[in-house]
Amino acid sequence: MGFQYTNIKLEWKCLRKELADSLSSCRVLVVGAGGIGCELLKNLVLTGFKNIEVIDLDTIDVSNLNRQFLFQKKHVGKSKAQVAKESVLRFCPSANITAYHDSIMNPDYNVEFFRNFQLVMNALDNRAARNHVNRMCLAADIPLIESGTAGYLGQVTVIKKGQTECYECQPKPTQKTFPGCTIRNTPSEPIHCIVWAKYLFNQLFGEEDADQEVSPDTADPEVAWNPADAAARATASNKDGDIKRVSTKEWARSTGYDPVKLFNKLFKDDIMYLLTMDKLWKKRKAPLPLDWTEIHQLESSQEEAFGTGLKDQQVLGVQGYAQLFHRSVETLRSQLIEKGEGAELVWDKDDPPAMDFVTAAANLRMNVFSMNMKSRFDVKSMAGNIIPAIATTNAVIAGLIVLEALKTLNSDFDQCRTIFLNKQPNPRKKLLVPCALDPPNPNCYVCASKPEVTVKLNVHKTIVQALQDKILKEKFGMVAPDVQIEDGKGTILISSEEGETEANNNKFLSDFGIRNGSRLQADDFLQDYTLLVNLIHSEELEKDVEFEVVGDAPDKAPAPSVPEEGKNIANGNKDSAQPSTSSKAAAEDDDVLIVDSDEEPSSSTMEASPESSNRKRKHHDADTDATASKRKRLDQQPADDDEDIIALD
Amino acid sequence: LALALSRPRGEDNIISEEEAAQYDRQIRLWGLDAQKRLRGSRVLLVGLRGLGAEVAKNLILAGVKGLTLLDHEQVTEESRRAQFLIPVDADGQNQAQASLERAQLLNPMVEVKVDTDAVESKLDDFFFRFDAVCLTRCSKDLMVRVDQLCASRNIKVFCGDVYGYHGYMFSDLGQEHHYVEEKPKVVKGSNEANDGPEAKKRKVDPNETTMVKKTISFCSLKEALEVDWTNEKAKSSLKRTPADYFLLQVLLKFRTDKGRDPQPDSFAEDSQLLLQIRDDVLETMGLSSELLPNTFVSYCFSEMAPVCAVVGGVLGQEIVKALSQRDAPHRNFFFFDGLKGSGVVDYFGSK
Repeated sequence: MGFQYTNIKLEWKCLRKELADSLSSCRVLVVGAGGIGCELLKNLVLTGFKNIEVIDLDTIDVSNLNRQFLFQKKHVGKSKAQVAKESVLRFCPSANITAYHDSIMNPDYNVEFFRNFQLVMNALDNRAARNHVNRMCLAADIPLIESGTAGYLGQVTVIKKGQTECYECQPKPTQKTFPGCTIRNTPSEPIHCIVWAKYLFNQLFGEEDADQEVSPDTADPEVAWNPADAAARATASNKDGDIKRVSTKEWARSTGYDPVKLFNKLFKDDIMYLLTMDKLWKKRKAPLPLDWTEIHQLESSQEEAFGTGLKDQQVLGVQGYAQLFHRSVETLRSQLIEKGEGAELVWDKDDPPAMDFVTAAANLRMNVFSMNMKSRFDVKSMAGNIIPAIATTNAVIAGLIVLEALKTLNSDFDQCRTIFLNKQPNPRKKLLVPCALDPPNPNCYVCASKPEVTVKLNVHKTIVQALQDKILKEKFGMVAPDVQIEDGKGTILISSEEGETEANNNKFLSDFGIRNGSRLQADDFLQDYTLLVNLIHSEELEKDVEFEVVGDAPDKAPAPSVPEEGKNIANGNKDSAQPSTSSKAAAEDDDVLIVDSDEEPSSSTMEASPESSNRKRKHHDADTDATASKRKRLDQQPADDDEDIIALD
Repeated sequence: LALALSRPRGEDNIISEEEAAQYDRQIRLWGLDAQKRLRGSRVLLVGLRGLGAEVAKNLILAGVKGLTLLDHEQVTEESRRAQFLIPVDADGQNQAQASLERAQLLNPMVEVKVDTDAVESKLDDFFFRFDAVCLTRCSKDLMVRVDQLCASRNIKVFCGDVYGYHGYMFSDLGQEHHYVEEKPKVVKGSNEANDGPEAKKRKVDPNETTMVKKTISFCSLKEALEVDWTNEKAKSSLKRTPADYFLLQVLLKFRTDKGRDPQPDSFAEDSQLLLQIRDDVLETMGLSSELLPNTFVSYCFSEMAPVCAVVGGVLGQEIVKALSQRDAPHRNFFFFDGLKGSGVVDYFGSK
């Protein structure tokens, strides 16, 4: 028996003396073998935990090596869970570690599987998986330690069914979305242009998506001088008139993906079209179209490349980005041709031509709209949703996780805390701020005894597929929903069995007799979760808004207590991007976020993922969780003084 | 700016592609300049037990130029189980030597060296070849001596230890430590009522930032440990003073008197001695024993791995900050209480 547990044995007399023994006999599950996961595995074995299972679907990337210390360069491309296990065994051969190169959302990991463990610890980077594990632990009634880091900030908390809030008790701010007209007509920030460029990539080379239009939006309510005009424009753009709307991809095909023609259409013709919508430019600076030939006649104002900086951190001139646009279009065109008929490319921040393309297109658009252009480095941060990460933050958080774990093994849940790691000490000198845990929310739509929600939507315009994907899966975190209508007949709307209800997918809800006041029962059997959904029919939802959950804060307004760092902005549910890096004014708040630091995965990662059929990985978008709002922090302040050592004998 | 901040010490000012790829996620946090300064820095790390191994890992991953691991002790079963760098078959070897291979593998771009001498035997100029010195498991006298030696030469000095559930770090960054902070750029508010050309100015990206230069001064370890508690001002600040400060004083005295830290094997006599020392130390300071209740003895034996991780993380990051001259350093103590989960930054010494 190692000497550290002697320390534990000593101060914990009587029944707690068994702690050291229970350490070596208990079984724990670590979900994730990345930044937090590596540090956590190390701490667990050094503390005396013997039976550990670790699961991660990812493979090792060179950018992981600055912090995921169980991996070396030679391991790039291999399974994180597997290599982590091997590395740990080298300094603790007696540890009993099982590694799974798999997704925790795989139905193999059912409630029975979770019941094998005395404790589950998350080391995840995305909300969907967190929601899922939350539900599995509730179903299995196993304590869960949740955590997250971003940059210098981090957070740990403990979830125990019936005693504490679950992960979904407090509504989390969903990703910020930009209205379509901002992206298509009136961008005012670089991020709008970057989102536009990613959409453009998909429209030209990837899977076309009706929610990712890039052409000028004539139905923009701001365009019209009077409401009647707006209505007319809206209908006009929907109709197949004489001017039939050609898809961007079709148009590109028709020109053979000619880069110069593409350039002039996107950055000259379409801009000139926008200029005709003059009301938009009354109070905004009007965009300035670019012309391919004209650009290349200008004096090159490009600076010599400096050797001291990162090449990627240079900001080129308009000509530079025009050239980059040209080159990347040609390269991507070749990639398409190589793949053959009906091929589609998937955007990947680590695929150079794809990244080049977005860098170029976004910058050209920024230039058109009089914004300072951004380096490839910065564009990659935003487009790829990269969250900066270092070893030390993860080390601290993983240490705190194990300290909480020791308390849970003893069932000392009243000793457990949420702990925030700040960048700078708060006015009361605290760098690490422990806060008491909150009891469960009686109205939680996950852990309440009979969870229920009310959703506002248009029953004539919402199709079953949207209900399944956008509402039940994305919004309410189900993985494989089964839905029946509470119509006295128990009509089955959606079955989780593949193919069974496929015929329903494109039908409208109203086709099934669903109307205002209808109720649906949604089940996810894997999560052992039943949710009653009350429907309110509405024809007055905002443009671009498909549904609203009654009781949620509006999506569009950024939550005021969310600090700059970790703030996520996205357009639609598929896309997420983040402003570049560095800690901003986060120090003011005690509050730190469990941040979902999910980067847009590279294709190699996707191959390893069992969910590779869902190429967009919609549920893996990064977002921000304000698990402790300002309100909570103020409540907790007095409690901090009570954090005295409680004599245990 | 060039005068206040030291020049990046790298032989060449270029970041290689390999470094750019590996350090990408941290360059995006602290910037390329900071990474270059790190890359030009040499650090001495004394003591390779639980805390030392954590600090070593953190500095090597961060990408310093060189890290010297100094430890004269031999690997025992106990010391081996306390950290993750020493292989299982290394009992009897020198602790630093045994840690070398794994440490180096953490990041081949860092020069990791070993020194098996006792730190007490080192002459003054040994320390002068480093940009920062981190002392763990050292006696108070040695730490005071090294601190005095180094701080005047702009060598950053750090001390840290873990005792059971408790841990601390101390830093002395000298009389004038220069650093930069990144602040959001202030966007001048536009006059909304004016619809004219002013409204159509080039937009400043709301995410643009600017670097602000700052200077801060630190006192010596000697001053920090020899606070006069008898004056009124000190007395009134007692209520807000973490008990951990006094715990540290007690443990340092134990270490000086016994030449070792409290051992679980001799719990009975060691805890007796600890209580005695507590009484002596506090009495000498003119303070009540109640400042440090008896229960403390239960929680300060041995090095808890998770506590090493927390303290090692904070300490490691402070060293990174100091070397990179970026972001406000914690001034001048950090105390971690693993039972409460609280981590406090506090200043002791002359103001």
